[in-house]
Amino acid sequence: MQLQSEKIGSVLVVKPFDRRMDASVAVDFKEKMASLINEGHDLVVLDMEGVDFIDSSGLGAIVSSLKTIGRKGDLVISGLQQTVMSMFKLTRMDRVFRIFQNRDEAVAALSG
Amino acid sequence: MTERENAKSIKLILDSNLEDVFLVGLAIRGICSYAPLGEVVAYQVEVCIVEAVNNAIKHAYGGEAGHEVEIGIAIQMDRIVFEVCDTGAGAIPLEARKMPFDPEDLESIPEGGMGLQIIHDVMDEVSYVKTDLGNALRMSKHFDSGRYARPGKPS
Repeated sequence: MQLQSEKIGSVLVVKPFDRRMDASVAVDFKEKMASLINEGHDLVVLDMEGVDFIDSSGLGAIVSSLKTIGRKGDLVISGLQQTVMSMFKLTRMDRVFRIFQNRDEAVAALSG
Repeated sequence: MTERENAKSIKLILDSNLEDVFLVGLAIRGICSYAPLGEVVAYQVEVCIVEAVNNAIKHAYGGEAGHEVEIGIAIQMDRIVFEVCDTGAGAIPLEARKMPFDPEDLESIPEGGMGLQIIHDVMDEVSYVKTDLGNALRMSKHFDSGRYARPGKPS
């Protein structure tokens, strides 16, 4: 899975290129995110604007990234499509992650 | 015409390769667009079938490619019925695990095991049969029959 990353101030914005976050890419996503986090990026926005499908493996990989950051930082999510958001709600992950309408709002929240 | 005669059905056969499961998802998405489910529910149904196929590949076949997963789909007047079948020796998970967690307690948040719970939460009926040949997971989602216009028929 290809990830595009951009540093804005102290915040790293990560955007998956793939439209689907499923079991076939979950391990790769998890490893690439761990690598970015271990480089010292502990304030991360995951911009999901281009993702139109997520399953439980994709959700689990995002949870894993949050656990890698731990208490030393935060991982927030932006740009969820209504369908993908429904999966966060169904699994109660909307109570785990701070979710923002768009990337700029998410960056502002982590920069404050 | 009986309900069975009225049903439209198709079978898909997929190689047990996680990288190909998206093809099933795309097919389900298209087929669900003919049922009056709404965009969000149709998407959730797609997730359920993808989860069921992933479970078959991971658990029945131990993640090994080169085996068949068969997905039967039937649209009836008031529901859409799916059957995901494998011929693997391994048993697929049956019990949806309720996973209570504290959103404030990072370690309690699950990274896996959510698939079957999603299936039970979204689908109206879920049943499982273990045979000598393998596993069959049957799921159905109901809809308002009054809103179903059969493709190709004047409404």
